[in-house]
Amino acid sequence: MEEHETGVTTYEGEQHVVAAAQHILKALAASKNINDGLRKTLLDVETHLSSMSSRLITERRNIKGAEDEVKSWEANHSMIWDSGLRESSEYLNAVREIETVTRSLQSLCVSENWKQKELLHRAEGVLQIAMSRLEEELVHILLQHTQFFEPEFMSFHSDRVDMVFDESFVSAEDEAIEEASRRNGDCSQSEFGIIDLVHADVIPDLKDIANVMFASKYHQEFCLAFITSRRHALQEYLVILGMKTLSIENVLKMEWDCLNSKMKKWMWAMKIIIKVYLASEKRLCKQILGHLGLVYQSCFTEISKGFVMPLLNFGEAIAMGTHGPERLFRLLDMYEVLENLAVDVDILFFDESSCFLRHEFHKLVRSIGNTVRSTFLAFENAIATYRSAKGFPGGGIHPLTRYVMNYIKTLTEYRDTLCLLLADESLVSVPHSTEHGTSDLTFYPMACQLRSITTTLESNLRNKSKLYRDVALQHIFMMNNLHYIVQKVKSSELSQFFGDEWLRQHTGKFQHEARSYERVTWSSVLSMISEGSSSTCALSLKASLKKRCTGFSIAFEEVYRNQTGWLIPNHQLREDVQISISQKLVHAYWTFIGKNSSGIGEKWIKYSVDDLESFILDLFGGSSRSLRDHQRRK
Amino acid sequence: MPATDYQGSFLGRISIRRNQVMAMEPNSHEQEVEDLELFQKHVSDRFSDLLSPPSDDSSPSDPLLSIAWLRKLLDMFLCCEAEFKAVLIMDRDPSQMTRPPLDRLVPELLERVVKALDICNALCLGVDSVRNVQKLAEIAVAALEQRPIGDGQARRAKKALNSLITAMMLEDKDGASAKSTERAWSFGRRGTSSTSAQKDRTAGLFRSPSCNMAKNWSAAKQIHAMSSNLVPPRGAEASGLASPVYIMSTIFVFVMWTLVAAIPCQERNGLGTHFPVPRQLAWAQPMIGLQEKIAEEWKKKEKKGSAGLLEEMQRLEKIGQSLIDFADGFQFPVEAERLEEVKTQVEGLADICRKMEEGLVPLQQQIREVFHRVVRSRAEFLDVLDQAGRLTAPTV
Repeated sequence: MEEHETGVTTYEGEQHVVAAAQHILKALAASKNINDGLRKTLLDVETHLSSMSSRLITERRNIKGAEDEVKSWEANHSMIWDSGLRESSEYLNAVREIETVTRSLQSLCVSENWKQKELLHRAEGVLQIAMSRLEEELVHILLQHTQFFEPEFMSFHSDRVDMVFDESFVSAEDEAIEEASRRNGDCSQSEFGIIDLVHADVIPDLKDIANVMFASKYHQEFCLAFITSRRHALQEYLVILGMKTLSIENVLKMEWDCLNSKMKKWMWAMKIIIKVYLASEKRLCKQILGHLGLVYQSCFTEISKGFVMPLLNFGEAIAMGTHGPERLFRLLDMYEVLENLAVDVDILFFDESSCFLRHEFHKLVRSIGNTVRSTFLAFENAIATYRSAKGFPGGGIHPLTRYVMNYIKTLTEYRDTLCLLLADESLVSVPHSTEHGTSDLTFYPMACQLRSITTTLESNLRNKSKLYRDVALQHIFMMNNLHYIVQKVKSSELSQFFGDEWLRQHTGKFQHEARSYERVTWSSVLSMISEGSSSTCALSLKASLKKRCTGFSIAFEEVYRNQTGWLIPNHQLREDVQISISQKLVHAYWTFIGKNSSGIGEKWIKYSVDDLESFILDLFGGSSRSLRDHQRRK
Repeated sequence: MPATDYQGSFLGRISIRRNQVMAMEPNSHEQEVEDLELFQKHVSDRFSDLLSPPSDDSSPSDPLLSIAWLRKLLDMFLCCEAEFKAVLIMDRDPSQMTRPPLDRLVPELLERVVKALDICNALCLGVDSVRNVQKLAEIAVAALEQRPIGDGQARRAKKALNSLITAMMLEDKDGASAKSTERAWSFGRRGTSSTSAQKDRTAGLFRSPSCNMAKNWSAAKQIHAMSSNLVPPRGAEASGLASPVYIMSTIFVFVMWTLVAAIPCQERNGLGTHFPVPRQLAWAQPMIGLQEKIAEEWKKKEKKGSAGLLEEMQRLEKIGQSLIDFADGFQFPVEAERLEEVKTQVEGLADICRKMEEGLVPLQQQIREVFHRVVRSRAEFLDVLDQAGRLTAPTV
C-alpha cells in the first residue's frame, strides 16, 4: 500500500516535469530563429514525450486494475476456476493485461529511467503472484477433473491352453485341447480407443492457463506442474489395473502358476496402457500444448518414461528366465502382444526426446523373441531326453506322443510369429510364394523344426517300445503311435508343414508296423493249420490233425488272452487290423476245417469259424479276457 | 552417442586379449597365471585412474562422484566386465564351471548380478528425480538471470529453490517410495474432499516422480546381500580362477554401492557400513582408497540427512540455500557488491544445470547399457553352465 502511495505522488511530480518540458519544446519550436529541420526534431520529441507520458499513465492504470484483481484472490481461499466462468475469465484478462504491460515496459526499459524500472518491477511482482496462483489452479483442475477409466477384465486372458509337461499329462488330453485351441482373434481391437483422461470441459481452461504462462515465460513452471500432476495420475491407473512393480529377483524366483498369471495380466495391461492410456495421454498433451510447438512431445515423454520403464523391466525379467516347454505359448503370447504394440510405440515415441523408450521397447521385443526361439529349440531336446520310469501297458498311445503332437499342433496357431523368429536364425533362405500365390510351407525353417521334432519323438518312442518284452506288442505300440502322429498331422494345419511326401512315408511306416505285428503273432498260429505242415505219414495223420487242432486252440487262446488286453484306441485302425487278421486266419481255419473235419470229428474242433470271427473282434479292447470264461458262459 | 566414448577402449582391450588367447597354449597353467595377473593389474590401473586421475593441464579432472566421474566409473566397469568374461569363459573347458570352487562361486556371482540389475533399474529412476531437481534449478537460474532482479523474480527463484531443497530432503528421507505411492492413491481419487486436496495442492507438486520399484525393495539391503557372502579366495584357490570371480564380484559391489550412494535410490538406510576388502590385496588398494573417501562423505551427509552424494547435487544444495537467503532478504535496489556475489552464484547454478543437462541422460543410458550388458553376460554364463551340465549329466 505504501509503495502504492509513493507511486501516486511520484507520478504527479513526473507529470509536472513532463508538462514543463512539453511547454518549453513547443515554445522553442514556435521560435523563428530555428530552421525547419530542427523544428521538426523538437516537435517529434514533444510528440514522443506526450505519447510516453500518456502511455505510462495508461499502463500505470492497467497495472493497478490487474493488481487489484490478482491480489483480491490472494486473500480468497476458494479456487478461481471453481468459482465460475466470469471469475476465471476476469482473472485471465487481468493476467494478460499485466503480461502485456510487463512486456511493453521491458521493451522500454533500455533507458535508465528509474520510474519505468520501478513500474516494471511492480508489474513483474504482480505477474509472479498470478503465475504462482495459476500453477495451483492448474494442479487443482487436473486433480479434480482427471477421469478414471476402469477397464473390465477384458476378454484377453488367453484362452489358449496351458500345457503342463509332467507325468500325468492331464492337460494334454485331446478334448481339452480341441476346446481351447480356438483362438480369439483380434476382436478386442475395437475395445481400445482414445479416451478423455481429463474431462473435455476443462481442456479450454487448461489451454488458457498454458497460453498465459507460456506468454509470460513461466513455461518451465507450467511444464513441471503439468508433468508431475500427470505422472501421479498415471500411477493411479496402475493401481486401478492392479499392476504392482516386481523386482527382477522376485520374477526369476517366482513359481510358474504365479508367474503365468502375472504374465497374462501384464499382457492385458500393456495393451491398455499403450493403446488407451498413453495414446490418450499424448492426445491430452497435444490438446493443451500442441499449438506451442514440440513441447507437448517432450512433456509426454517425461510423463510416460518412469511409467513405462518398470513395465518393460518385467518383460526383461521374463526374457532372462529359463523356461520349460510348457511356457512357450505364454512367451509367444507375450511376443505377439509386443509385436502388435510396436507400431503404436513407434508413433507414441517418435521424436528424439523419446527414442530411448522406443529403443528399449524394441530391445525387449528382440529379447523375448530370442527367449521364444531358444525355448522352442529346447523343446526337441526335452523330448529326446525325456525318460519315463513307468511302464506303459497295452501298447496304446503314449502320453508323450499326445503331448508333443498337441503341442506342435497348437504351435501352428502361432505360425506367422514362429516362422518369422526361426527364419531370423536359419541360414536357409525362405522361399517366396509360388506363382499360385500360396507358399510352400514345407520348406520353412519352422517346418524343418517340426519334422525334426517328430523324428526325435519317433526315436524316443522306438526306445520306449523296447521296454515291451513281446515283440508283437512293440509293433502294436509303434503302429498306434505312428498312426496317431499321422492322424494329427493330416487333420490339422500341420499337414501344410509336413507335406504329402512325409504323410505317404509315415502312413507306410505304421502300415509296416501292422504287417510286422501280424507276422510275429499269427504266422506261428497259422502254421498249425496251414497246408505245408500236414504232409506227414498217413498213420499218424489223425493224431497229427488232432494235435494241430489242439495246438491251434491253445495258441489262439494264448493270443486271445494276451491281446484282448492290448489296445488300439483308434476304432478305424482296430477294425482294419481285425479285418486283416480275419481275412488270413478265418480263411485258413475255414479251409482247414472243411478239409479235415471228417477226419478228426467235431469234438476236436473247439471253435467254429463264426466263433473265431467274433473272438477276433475282442482283440485290442484294452481289457484282458480269457476264452475259458467264454466257455463257462456258454 | 555415449557408446562410442568407451567402445574404443574396451573393444581394443578385448581384441588384444583375444590375440593373446589365440596365441597361448590352451590351459597352460603359466599362461593362466599371467592372464590373472594382467587382469588384476588392469583393474588396479583403472581404479587408480578414478582415485587420482592423471593430471592434464588442458582439462581439469572430474571431481569425485560428479556425473562425469560416475560415467567414467561405468566405463571402467564395462571394461573390467568384458575382460573378466574373456578370462573366465573364452577358450576354456566348460566343465571347469561344474568343479569346485567355480561350481559354487559362479552361481553366487550370478545371484549378485541379478541384484545389480534391480539396482540399475532403481538408479535409472533415481536419475529421473535428479532431472526433476535440475528443472527446478533451471527456473531459479531463469529468474535470477534477469537484470535488474526485481521482487517478482526473487520470489519466483525462491519458490523454485525451496521446492528443490524440499525435494532433495524428501528424496533422502523416505526414498520417495512409500509416500509417493500413498500420495498417488489419494491424488485425485474421486471422493477426496477438496479441502484436503487443496491443502496439499502444492506440497507434493515438486516431489520427484515416485520411484517405481517393488514395495519393500531396498537398495541398501541389496548391496548388503551382494556383499554378505563375498569371501576372498584362500590358499591354492587364490591363484586360480576363484580370484577373478572374487575380483569381479567386488567390482560389482563397489560400483553399485557407489552409484547408490550418489544417486537417489529407494531406501538407503545403513549404506554407510561398507563392505570389507582385504588390505593385503594389491589390486584392491585404489578401490579401498575410493571406498574410504566415499564412506567418509556418506557419514558426513548422513548426519545432515540430505540428498545423495552426487557432486552436482551437493553443490546445488549449497548454492540453493545461499540464494534462498538472498531472496528472503530481498529488497530493491540491491547493492552492487551483493549483486555481483549473486551473479557468481547464479553462474555456478547455471553451470551445474548445464552439466546435468549434458550428463544425466547419457548417464541414464549408460546405466541401462550396463543393465543390458550384464543381462547378456549372465545368459552367456548360463549357456556355459548348461553346456557343462549336459556334458556331465548322466545319460540314462
